Amino acid sequence: MRERRVGKILDGFAQEPPTVAFPPATPPLPPPHTSTMASTLNMNGEDPVERPKQIFDIIGGLERYNPQAAEVLEAYLQQQCEEKFTDCNANRALLKLYQLNPDRIKDEIVTNVLVKTMTQFPSPQFDLALHLLSPSYSNPGPGSSSDLAEAVAKLRALNSQLEGARYDHFWATLESDDIYADLTTDIKGFEEIIRVKIAQLISQAFREISVSVLESYLGLRSEADVKTFVTETCGWKVGDDGIVHIPKNSENEAKKTEIREDVSIDMFTRVIKRSWEETA
Amino acid sequence: MSAFQQGMAPIRAMEDDSDVEEEALVADYQEQVQYGQDDDLEGLDQASIVQAADDLQARLLQAAQPLDYQATLEAKFSSYDNYCSLFHYILNSEGPVDLEPPSYYWAWDVIDEFIYQFNTFSTYRARIARQGNNEEEAQLLKENPNTWGCYSVLNVLYSLIQKSQIQEQLQATKRGDDPAAVAGPYGSKALYKMLGYFSIIGLLRVHCLLGDFSLALKTLDDIELNKKAMFARVMAAHFTTYYYVGFSYMMMRRYADALRMFSHILIYVSRTKNFQKNAQYDNINKKSDQMLALIAICVAFQPTRLDDTIHTALREKYGEQLLKLQRGGPESLPVFEELFRTACPKFISPVPPNFDAPESNIDPIEHHLSIFMEEVKTNMFNPTIKSYLRLYTTMDLKKLAGFLEVKPEELRSILLVNKQRNKQIRWNEGALLEGEWVNTSDLDYALQGDLIHISEAKMGRKLVDWYLRNLSRTYA
Repeated sequence: MRERRVGKILDGFAQEPPTVAFPPATPPLPPPHTSTMASTLNMNGEDPVERPKQIFDIIGGLERYNPQAAEVLEAYLQQQCEEKFTDCNANRALLKLYQLNPDRIKDEIVTNVLVKTMTQFPSPQFDLALHLLSPSYSNPGPGSSSDLAEAVAKLRALNSQLEGARYDHFWATLESDDIYADLTTDIKGFEEIIRVKIAQLISQAFREISVSVLESYLGLRSEADVKTFVTETCGWKVGDDGIVHIPKNSENEAKKTEIREDVSIDMFTRVIKRSWEETA
Repeated sequence: MSAFQQGMAPIRAMEDDSDVEEEALVADYQEQVQYGQDDDLEGLDQASIVQAADDLQARLLQAAQPLDYQATLEAKFSSYDNYCSLFHYILNSEGPVDLEPPSYYWAWDVIDEFIYQFNTFSTYRARIARQGNNEEEAQLLKENPNTWGCYSVLNVLYSLIQKSQIQEQLQATKRGDDPAAVAGPYGSKALYKMLGYFSIIGLLRVHCLLGDFSLALKTLDDIELNKKAMFARVMAAHFTTYYYVGFSYMMMRRYADALRMFSHILIYVSRTKNFQKNAQYDNINKKSDQMLALIAICVAFQPTRLDDTIHTALREKYGEQLLKLQRGGPESLPVFEELFRTACPKFISPVPPNFDAPESNIDPIEHHLSIFMEEVKTNMFNPTIKSYLRLYTTMDLKKLAGFLEVKPEELRSILLVNKQRNKQIRWNEGALLEGEWVNTSDLDYALQGDLIHISEAKMGRKLVDWYLRNLSRTYA
């Protein structure tokens, strides 16, 4: 099974066009008092707008405990993998079914869920999924390791590099072992999704960054690739000196702010009332 | 004050192996002080009428009684059977059964005891399997995999919630409608309504014990956390709810919300502790210590100004640990671990362990701890970084890396992590899982190549404080 999957990613690798949209330069820190979609307010990839009603009904009701529902959720995961969106909430419902019915566990579904949650970094999504796995997969005891346990350990190592912003290490680790190609093969455009996400996070911290650092962060093979990526996908400018200029946004300004207290008369009603009563 | 009712309240004796759930059976003075004697008299009359009529009443009371800690496996099995038959009778009789709950906290006691026994049974079963030296009991447990099964416990709780239409009733109350209009034949009866209500709190707890923290918070969608809520009438329920909600928030990296929960309940306890009897006070004390430990963890992740009462208590109880946590670095890791172990719920696995391979059964606490520690490790340099950045407005990355004795690449990653973690979802209004992304740090920075630009938010004048002081001076 594993061999077949390795073959697949190698075939699909070259012609995969970068189709992941780079988000606008100013990321969503939504202004207060506007009703934005829950998905932008909440954790990354928690309740996507793409979720169909059938899935909504399953995870919102008792159907989420019906072992039969696993098949629907598995198919939905497949859809997420192909259509490049993530529904961590629904995927957790699936892991929960596995938790309660260990005989139903399908290894590659579990790893696909983990890889999907990984694309939501930085966020607790990967951890929340991990908490639902049996300890025997995430922390196997001595002499009780399995294929799944080994895969989970590999994915945890990979995820901790994304969470720890060691993006250069992430790409190196991904290259270091064929098992990673195998584990991420079902997730369409995995590398591109990660790369765009990293670029987005960089734009929130950097005003200028050198092409060579970007090359290692984005896991690209040459400076030319970096220049193409940042100009075409991100819309950044590359100077002649090898410095990439990132447009100003609310995150990379580091503006001075002043924290002020709003005072209203209500806060003093008790004091005023008492003083009134005492004089009266 | 109604001494009679105190006599009825089941109070668990102190035990060695105590934890949050174990001590949760507390019927305290406070509820009686707050809610006057009307309730008491009412409960008392009904209790005596039914008691005279039926031995069912005895079964209701029995269900709320704590099982002895030393109980044998047979006693645990038969206790499970008793619960099954009682819940079967309540849920599957023809129409709603005509019983009044013996007291207003009875329903909490029953659900609490039910989950407590489920929790200890699962822990016990796992321990027998891990140790692998009690073949007799292992055999018995192996032959009865469905006793205290996770599905049946969930089934009971969900059935009670559904039968009582409690969610519909709570939603109606929230809209300002009359809950009785949607209560249905079951939900209009106090017995069902209260069992349903506390089953929601029970589900919060079970989901948390199984490691499903977001579902735990989701369960409370229809309950508003305020002093008017029904759970606030029973001190143990009040306490338990805030502990589990706070813990779930912490595991979702929502430290500001977790701190809000723990602070709220600890301040409440400190204000009411004069009303509490000694034995119960000890229990609450122990649980308060656990929450203080969790506060220490949350504050380490997100430095926050605490209420004075809590700050003093925290320094008294965990002063040394807190210092280490706040200093960060590898030396802080064992302290995080120690505090997490003392303060976390007794996690369980939803399925029976593997009795044939003792070593393969890992304590779920180790599992959840290892995941949590991963995030701790990712963040362990944040305190150091922050303390340095505060000193400058601009700083060279390589120079700072030299100060910290790390490679420039490592420092760049630490800076990125710290900046990313400064954004957090914080609750504002609505359901517990809702929230908005906010910046939680007063320190911000951006990188221009290797040059770090740093800005610190200035605290404006503390106006409220100023007004208060001057007002009192004027009026004095």
